[in-house]
Amino acid sequence: MTGFEQLVDGFAVALSWKGLLYCFIGCLWGTIVGVLPGLGPLAGMTLLLPLTFGLEPTIGIIMLTGIFYGAMYGGSTTSILVRIPGEAASVVTCIDGYEMARQGRAGPALMIAAIGSFIGGTFSILGLMFIAPPLAKVMVAIGPSVEVVLMLLALSVIAVVSAGSRTKTAAMLVLGLVLGTVGLDNLTGTARFTFGNPDLAGGLSFTALAIGLFGISEILINLEQTETIKAIQPKLRELIPRWKDLRESSGAVGRASVIGFIFGIIPGVSHVVSTFVSYAAEKRISKHPEQFGRGAIAGVAGPETANNAVTGTAMIPLLALGIPSIPATAILLSALTIHGVQPGPLLLKDHPEVFWGLVASMYIGNVMLLILNLPLVGIFVNLLRIPYAWLVPIILIVSIIGVYSVNSSVADIWIMALSGGAGYVLRKFGYEMAPLLLALVLGDRLEDNFRLALTMSGGSYATFADHASIIVVASVAGLLLSVQALAWAFGYRKSFADQAEGA
Amino acid sequence: MSDSSDVEPRPSRPAFLPRSIGARRGGLVLAGALAAVGLLFVWQAAGLDLGGIGLPGAGFFPLLTGGALAAFAIAIGIQLLRERDDGRVIAFGHRDVLIVFAAMLGVPLLFEPLGAYGTLGLFGAVLLVLIARTSFVRAGIAAAVAMVMCWGFFQQLLGLQLPTGPW
Repeated sequence: MTGFEQLVDGFAVALSWKGLLYCFIGCLWGTIVGVLPGLGPLAGMTLLLPLTFGLEPTIGIIMLTGIFYGAMYGGSTTSILVRIPGEAASVVTCIDGYEMARQGRAGPALMIAAIGSFIGGTFSILGLMFIAPPLAKVMVAIGPSVEVVLMLLALSVIAVVSAGSRTKTAAMLVLGLVLGTVGLDNLTGTARFTFGNPDLAGGLSFTALAIGLFGISEILINLEQTETIKAIQPKLRELIPRWKDLRESSGAVGRASVIGFIFGIIPGVSHVVSTFVSYAAEKRISKHPEQFGRGAIAGVAGPETANNAVTGTAMIPLLALGIPSIPATAILLSALTIHGVQPGPLLLKDHPEVFWGLVASMYIGNVMLLILNLPLVGIFVNLLRIPYAWLVPIILIVSIIGVYSVNSSVADIWIMALSGGAGYVLRKFGYEMAPLLLALVLGDRLEDNFRLALTMSGGSYATFADHASIIVVASVAGLLLSVQALAWAFGYRKSFADQAEGA
Repeated sequence: MSDSSDVEPRPSRPAFLPRSIGARRGGLVLAGALAAVGLLFVWQAAGLDLGGIGLPGAGFFPLLTGGALAAFAIAIGIQLLRERDDGRVIAFGHRDVLIVFAAMLGVPLLFEPLGAYGTLGLFGAVLLVLIARTSFVRAGIAAAVAMVMCWGFFQQLLGLQLPTGPW
């Protein structure tokens, strides 16, 4: 079957009533969590993760991915109208977006952000479609030792480029690996750290930990902030941009699509990095750099396109290698694993319907989001008026039911509540939860492949430095270093990510 | 007997909650806790089959990662000790945070004895009264409506079986 035929099959799944319905639910919920300050795509995905368990894997993944890119669209709304970034990737949009809104040009800013997001998102899906299948074919041939090296490389890059203190990030990575060892050892069946509790034999529930560490801790932190939000309300007829706006932003959209696509490969904070680099590039290229910070439309078009162009590229390591590069894809990995689908080189061979169904749904989802985000922007802005205290019980009840439903275990509710409390305390002291989650999801495979590689090589550690490992490490490291050098050349510094994550 | 007007107004005491904790001191305590978690895993892993360097057993990886966690936590502690205390504080014990956290800890205790819908209805109503500051009647009605919707969506539509409790 050719790629085109498989894509047609993918569209058949995505265009089924279930595919369309759950894609719409994902996009809508994604937009809502993107709009609501404090609830980002991660919390949004973890909170709805349990709902996917009753669905077919492809449909569940379509919904979760819809939340991921839907949040990128929604995040721009609050950045432009309230000057509060809905999520970290929208921090840069606040600068010129809010200035435009203050000048009575909120409509064109929102419109250009939505169009740019659509173009960036669509461009990155094309990349996913053309890069992931050949990469997966190459990776089928690799052994466990190369997989270990790749995973260690990904974790090291996360420790280096993540927001916040590197030592704290490293501690969170290791904590994730440690927590991943709880339960029965996959190779020998030995019970580890279960303390005789049968509920822990299967390990700490990833869903409970993810919802606790991300969702619950975020809710607890948001409860401390009580200020009311005042948003600028654009009128529908004001949404239409002028010809000049379109002309000024077209170049920015094109460049940011490429920037977002390239930067999507950086594990950790690629979505944040791409927006800063895109903004800096536009300012440097512009004939009127003095307008940046005072309502330049290219300052909205660039970052908003870039953060959506990341979404497709970020899926490449997950779907082709089985390695999540950002926390959102770690949630997707977990969802696929729960459904018995192992992401990685064999995904395209064993479950092509999942890959192509997802690709097709991303095209459809981007169209849905364009339609949702333009005429309905007034409704989304009104969401900001709902008191947060009313949303909290609803979100928590859905989370509790979802967590319980995975294993029908009250122990998972305990894990969720306690990890929520722990996540809250850790975050107050500047520890990032994303590295913990990524390590937790990779920990099992890292250990299994590590021991398997040593067994296969008769206990020789030289297996991790064989020809294939060196080629893979050198190519990946070379690629990452070039992208990082590009970011530096455009004036990006790690402190920007720190500020964005703290925003 | 002194006139009430003569009574000096009591100096207002700082509220007990939320409490401010020095970022440096709190950071040290947290680093200590992380080191303790790491050492706990090292201690427990030492009792498992460690295997050899070439052929690791079930305890090898947790021993390694537990040790690394303790080492990183100690490094964080040393960093904090070497830094000058800038007087930054972190507030803990926000009223709504405490209420939500306490209510969440109550859920697993009641979830099976009282049933999922009874527990979650009570949980929702308590949060609406205490953090959204609605009246008991409104909170009760909202919680009941929410539970009917949850039952319809989770049990009827998705087929999830939740504990029914005594009913």
